[in-house]
Amino acid sequence: MSGMEDLEELFENAPCGYISAGVDRRIIRANRTLGDWLGCEPGELVGRRVPDLLTTAGKIYFETHFAPLLRMQGFFYEVALDFVRADGTLLPVLVNASERRDEDGGLRFVRLTVFNATDRRRYERELLEARRAADLANTELRTLNRTLESRVEEAVESRLKLEEALRQAQKLEAIGQLTGGVAHDFNNLLTVILGGLEIASKHEAGQPETPQVQRVRRAIAMATQGAERAATLTARLLAFARRQPLAPQPVDASKLVLGLGDLLQRTLGETIAIETVSGAGLWLAHADPSELENALVNLAVNARDAMPGGGRLTIETSNAYLDENYLARVPEPVPPGQYVLLSVSDSGIGMDTATLARVFEPFFTTKEPGKGTGLGLSQVYGFVRQSNGHIRIYSERGLGTTVKIYLPRLPAGSPVLVSSRLEQVQDAAGGTETILLVEDHDDLRSYSGAALRDLGYAVLEAPDGPTALELVSSQPDVALLFTDIVLPGGLNGRELAASARQLRPDLKVLFTTGYSRNAVVHNGRLDPGVHLLPKPFFPAQLAAKVRQVLDI
Amino acid sequence: MSVFKRHHIAVHGSGPDEMMFAHGFGCDQNMWRYVEPAFRQSFETVLFDHVGAGRSDLSAYDPAKYSNLQGYAEDVVAIGRGLGFRKGVFVGHSVSAMIGVLASKVAPELFDRLVLVGPSPRYIDSDGYVGGFSEPQILELLEFLDSNHMGWSQAMAPIIMGNPDRPELGDELTNSFCRTDPEIAKHFARVTFLSDNRDDLDGIAARVLILQCSDDVIAPRAVGEYVRDRIPGSRFVVMDATGHCPNLSAPEQTISAIRDFV
Repeated sequence: MSGMEDLEELFENAPCGYISAGVDRRIIRANRTLGDWLGCEPGELVGRRVPDLLTTAGKIYFETHFAPLLRMQGFFYEVALDFVRADGTLLPVLVNASERRDEDGGLRFVRLTVFNATDRRRYERELLEARRAADLANTELRTLNRTLESRVEEAVESRLKLEEALRQAQKLEAIGQLTGGVAHDFNNLLTVILGGLEIASKHEAGQPETPQVQRVRRAIAMATQGAERAATLTARLLAFARRQPLAPQPVDASKLVLGLGDLLQRTLGETIAIETVSGAGLWLAHADPSELENALVNLAVNARDAMPGGGRLTIETSNAYLDENYLARVPEPVPPGQYVLLSVSDSGIGMDTATLARVFEPFFTTKEPGKGTGLGLSQVYGFVRQSNGHIRIYSERGLGTTVKIYLPRLPAGSPVLVSSRLEQVQDAAGGTETILLVEDHDDLRSYSGAALRDLGYAVLEAPDGPTALELVSSQPDVALLFTDIVLPGGLNGRELAASARQLRPDLKVLFTTGYSRNAVVHNGRLDPGVHLLPKPFFPAQLAAKVRQVLDI
Repeated sequence: MSVFKRHHIAVHGSGPDEMMFAHGFGCDQNMWRYVEPAFRQSFETVLFDHVGAGRSDLSAYDPAKYSNLQGYAEDVVAIGRGLGFRKGVFVGHSVSAMIGVLASKVAPELFDRLVLVGPSPRYIDSDGYVGGFSEPQILELLEFLDSNHMGWSQAMAPIIMGNPDRPELGDELTNSFCRTDPEIAKHFARVTFLSDNRDDLDGIAARVLILQCSDDVIAPRAVGEYVRDRIPGSRFVVMDATGHCPNLSAPEQTISAIRDFV
């Protein structure tokens, strides 16, 4: 091969495109490689202007930027352009251009070298895209990071709060169990004590008025007073322990509050103004009315103590709906739904967060020793919880306190009880019927038996269920079964009553208990038609209840 | 920021008569390197860079101001006034031709002679008007401007040079001839190629010379003739030059055409 042929071959088949262009930009010669890339014969390119091979943007920029640069500088390197192929598609290229001058400096031609930049263009695009995505991700990450810390903090804080609230609830639960157990035992003993004192008192009644007798009478009175106070105490403890037996009924909370008006005013004194706000269309609540009254009185007393210089107490009733969102943050299990809300607000000194956290604990009090037992709020708490309700206290030092009690709404279609006053104990008549007394506590059994006999009843006694059942079947004239709910021997009071009723369908039943955890008393509520005499009871209360049940 | 620094103004020559050279879209005042020196004997010549080109102050670029040619015209007026132009000559290339027309209407006292090199009042064809570009073509341009690319920024940015044929350029950063900020150039391109200043051709007080290249893709002959027809009394000179920049490709012709006119 000759030298010329060699060079020819090199030029035509170079790995890049070659263009020789005149001063007027018209193509004088192009190589085969370029022709192949553009999909035409190199000969077809001759005579065409270089800018005509470009896109519109290419043309414009070529004429305004690169041609001038070439003219002034004599060259340009690696300008990215797009050639338009014969079929209209684009070929991304990199172009080098150089003016070739002769010895006099006259321009001979322009050499353009064209590199196929398809890959490079793609890489560039990908790089730019990747850069943009990275920037975006970076910004997002930074934002996320900034908020992450605060979000973690928030989550941890709310978790801690929840755990604290749960701990509190569990603490109260534990205390409840303890006090319930203790109170139950006390109740049994107190019943015996009171019973004994009553008998002693009756005995002394008939004595002549000697100083000695008077001393004895005083002693009995003091002992009775003490035992009565103890009984009240245990009752309150039981209330807290949610072990008091409740008799929930339909209650119109507004009417109940209005009915308490006088009592509350007397309790609060003259320096405190009472305002009641009754919600329109108030639903009926399902709760024990006398215990509700007790709770309100308790709250009123607390309010009074928080307003030593006077103030205002506001009791509002309204309908409320507790939803899952709100209840999710409440540690005790409260079913969502419709509730009747009683709000008791005072303008007193309020409580700080530390006090607020412990306010339902029994015996916790902010008052000096001797002033208040610290049981009031715990009682209210127990009552509300046992009524399947929800209680919430809002308070701030210097701003007063609001106690919100939510009681379940009564399912529609029930009769209404207006209010119930604390029961008056009256002298009750006795009777002559036969009563079967079932009680495992010996002293209590003998006390109750004596009390009933004093009233004129014939009393059969049994220490446990099986014995009682035998007596029922063998003794036809038993009119009333008076039994403790908790019995040993494998047959509890309820089961006993059920079995006895099978033998004697018209048998009347009166339960007693100091410890209401049982099937008869479902969650502290009595099945309708069931009669209950809570311990401790006075002989007078026993007489009244027995008579009431016998007379049904 | 003074007008001088903002536009990297260079003043040469001397004389009571003043001549201002305005480069167009693309490149900078270097465009006039073969033409301007010829007038230093008889004129005080003024060269400047539009904001975004050459050594102008890029921070002075305000997209709102420069969203139409009026913004650029304001700069020309500021330069003219700043240099005390009175009845001077304005030489504008490409889109600067129209910028000069606008400036002369805002401040007629500055220029009494306008030299329009490759002018075009509108680039897109419309009813009965030949602009040189179809709408799809300009849309193609706009799409390209909008696309993210590394494109020509390579060539337009400084690159280390080593051209054995031009040793006098030495280690100086290239390119020093045609600097332009690629981003600003995009906006300028958009403004230029979407402009329509045909009606501003009416009511020009100054004398007008139109220099038309015989083979110009950007401002074709039909456009030059339109401008001539719209400006009564204007002088229309066709030069034997290809491309859009006769000041570079045919400097002698350009110089003599201008000299004849002024």
